[in-house]
Amino acid sequence: MGLNELQKQRYSRHILLEGVDEEGQSRLLESRVLVIGCGGLGSPVCLYLAAAGVGTIGIVDPDQVDLSNLQRQIAHHTPDIGVDKVESAKNKISAMNPDVKVETHKVWAGAGNIREIIAGYDFVIDATDNFSAKFLINDACFFERKPLCHAGVVGFEGQLMTIIPGQTACYRCIFDAPPPDRTVAMCGDVGVLCAVPGVIGTLQATEAMKYILGIGDLAVNSLVTYNAINMSFRKITLGRNRLCSLCGEEPKIKDLGGFKRLC
Amino acid sequence: MLLEIRLFATFRHRRFKTKQMELPVGFLLGNLLKKLDISIKNVGILLVNGKHSDKETRLIDGDVVAIFPVVGGG
Repeated sequence: MGLNELQKQRYSRHILLEGVDEEGQSRLLESRVLVIGCGGLGSPVCLYLAAAGVGTIGIVDPDQVDLSNLQRQIAHHTPDIGVDKVESAKNKISAMNPDVKVETHKVWAGAGNIREIIAGYDFVIDATDNFSAKFLINDACFFERKPLCHAGVVGFEGQLMTIIPGQTACYRCIFDAPPPDRTVAMCGDVGVLCAVPGVIGTLQATEAMKYILGIGDLAVNSLVTYNAINMSFRKITLGRNRLCSLCGEEPKIKDLGGFKRLC
Repeated sequence: MLLEIRLFATFRHRRFKTKQMELPVGFLLGNLLKKLDISIKNVGILLVNGKHSDKETRLIDGDVVAIFPVVGGG
């Protein structure tokens, strides 16, 4: 797909980049990325993917915008309170870049529908806010063989890992199973500094772009952690776990039947 | 034996960031978690001298133990 004159201007700073140029920009415009969760992480993900000219952005979120979201969920503004998050984000994306088509999924993603939703996309971003969802997305992406960028944030901390199913360590290789409900501090319990999901979500969007462009090194077989207080990034190298219950040598998990909760 | 314990993210809350601890040789990593009042279910990654370890790992003098929680918000 060739770029028109307006696109050559809009994406000129991408086109100048070695490894992107017009061919890479065309690839971004033809790509399809799914963002599951449109909150603190999902907002910067959606906005940067839109600015980048990712041709189709799918957004999954069943919620409406709440006043307490606005401190960090930068895709949503004060007049959006009460509006569906998928519609609020779609409006910002469309205003930012008319090249981008937005597909909204105002649904709870669960075992019954998630594989169908992710099947139509090239890359999946886990921007959800609970462990059940993170494991569900990991498992669904494994069964559908969809590349995924996982992230989590709380307090002044964030973490991220990219997963190429069947090739690199998956979320269960490292974390095995969701912790019991209410045993781990979450943002609603202990808070989160607004820019922390901004930093991590921006990195997730960067991983998606690198994957689509086929450039650089992805955060695979590793967990990247960010501490805003110390201003420190750490990359913990982790290989695939041969005992992994999902992608190990003798997997116990054969389908999504173990999931009850939705995301 | 003397160990260095490094806690990360929410595990630092009401505990510490880095601490030297004197414990018997061969002390189990799982028992260290109990001593720190950290549930294994909340642990994301256990590293001993930078290597992925588990609760059955026996610690030796000079080990540096790093304990990361799972982080699930968004």
